[in-house]
Amino acid sequence: MATRLQFENNCEVGVFSKLTNAYCLVAIGGSESFYSIYEYELADVIPVVKTSIAGTRIIGRACAGNKNGLLVPHTTTDQELQHLRNSLPDSVVVQRIDERLNALGNHIACNDHVALAHTDLDRKTEELIADVLGVEVFRTTIAGNILVGTYCALSNRGGMVHPHTSIEELDELSTLLQVPLVAGTVNRGSDLIAAGMTVNDWTAFCGSDTTATELSVIENVFKLRKAQPSAIVDEMRKSLIDSYV
Amino acid sequence: MRLEFCWFCSSKIYPGHGIQFVRNDAKIFRFCRSKCHKNFKMKRNPRKVKWTKAYRRLHGKDMTKDSTFELERKRNRPERYDRNVMENTLKAIKKIDKIRHDRAADHIAQRWKPKAAKERREARKELEQSISLIKAPLAIQSQEPAITVPKIKVKAPKQQTVENQPMEE
Repeated sequence: MATRLQFENNCEVGVFSKLTNAYCLVAIGGSESFYSIYEYELADVIPVVKTSIAGTRIIGRACAGNKNGLLVPHTTTDQELQHLRNSLPDSVVVQRIDERLNALGNHIACNDHVALAHTDLDRKTEELIADVLGVEVFRTTIAGNILVGTYCALSNRGGMVHPHTSIEELDELSTLLQVPLVAGTVNRGSDLIAAGMTVNDWTAFCGSDTTATELSVIENVFKLRKAQPSAIVDEMRKSLIDSYV
Repeated sequence: MRLEFCWFCSSKIYPGHGIQFVRNDAKIFRFCRSKCHKNFKMKRNPRKVKWTKAYRRLHGKDMTKDSTFELERKRNRPERYDRNVMENTLKAIKKIDKIRHDRAADHIAQRWKPKAAKERREARKELEQSISLIKAPLAIQSQEPAITVPKIKVKAPKQQTVENQPMEE
């Protein structure tokens, strides 16, 4: 189920939080209500960890992770690294990466099986991604943008990309990632998809500016809405009935 | 807070000291004081500047290869906090520091060791060769043979005990 929220009156929730299947990272500062919304949805299931990276609050764009691991930039302090390691479950490997391109959240889009990477990443970084996150890495662009992490939100069940992605590219990426993709927007037409929302296999959090249409698209592509019997019948009706007499 | 090392002289930079320079290729240069910073701006190579650690290590003045250096490195994959491990690590750090310090001092003492023998050899040679600067050659000859005249062995007369001697009458 997709939830709409704001961080300090800012709708870019994908910047201030990172959501995966095994944990959730939230930025410190701001009001407790931001944190409490995440806790309300997720507290029983996965740990919700308040953290900063390199003393900043833009943790969603700085780090990249999935249920197997978390990659943080080299600017992360030792204390923050230790805090992450202590708060996250042992199955998650926390690794600091020495890479010129620091904002890993902008350069890497990943789910639990496959990752898209910025074309200019080091080979050593690519190997580390494959090793720590346990994914297959593809260097691609999305609609001509090299910042794949910003323009694509990915979960194990679906993905949403930049609205100007062509259909051929959508098909190509879909076969690479093995998930259904849709080109859409978030936060009233913003094309920075992953900055405007965070998603995992069963929830999504979007900015409060997200329209109902965008929200329904998100819930459909990431398969967040529980299947209702009427919905199934509706979908089946089209295939069962040839023509109305 | 992390104690970094100066890019130029390799000394520890404590909080509140120094300048960090970030180049356009995102490489960070940290300097402990303006001396190092200004040397960097002059494009000096630390490996050629005598007072830096880089020079000293390159020219063998300081210890380079030691197992204690491998223990102090930047680790990118942290481990979960364990109080016992932390306690043991803190004790070990103190011991390792002391060992490294002693080994480094040994290295420098080893470097200085041949100096004493060499100095003595050179002093003896100088004495033999340049004694004429102090004393005239003729003066040396007429003086005690200790300086230049070779040693002559003179046999000492056999000592006769009082009892064996017949009484002189």
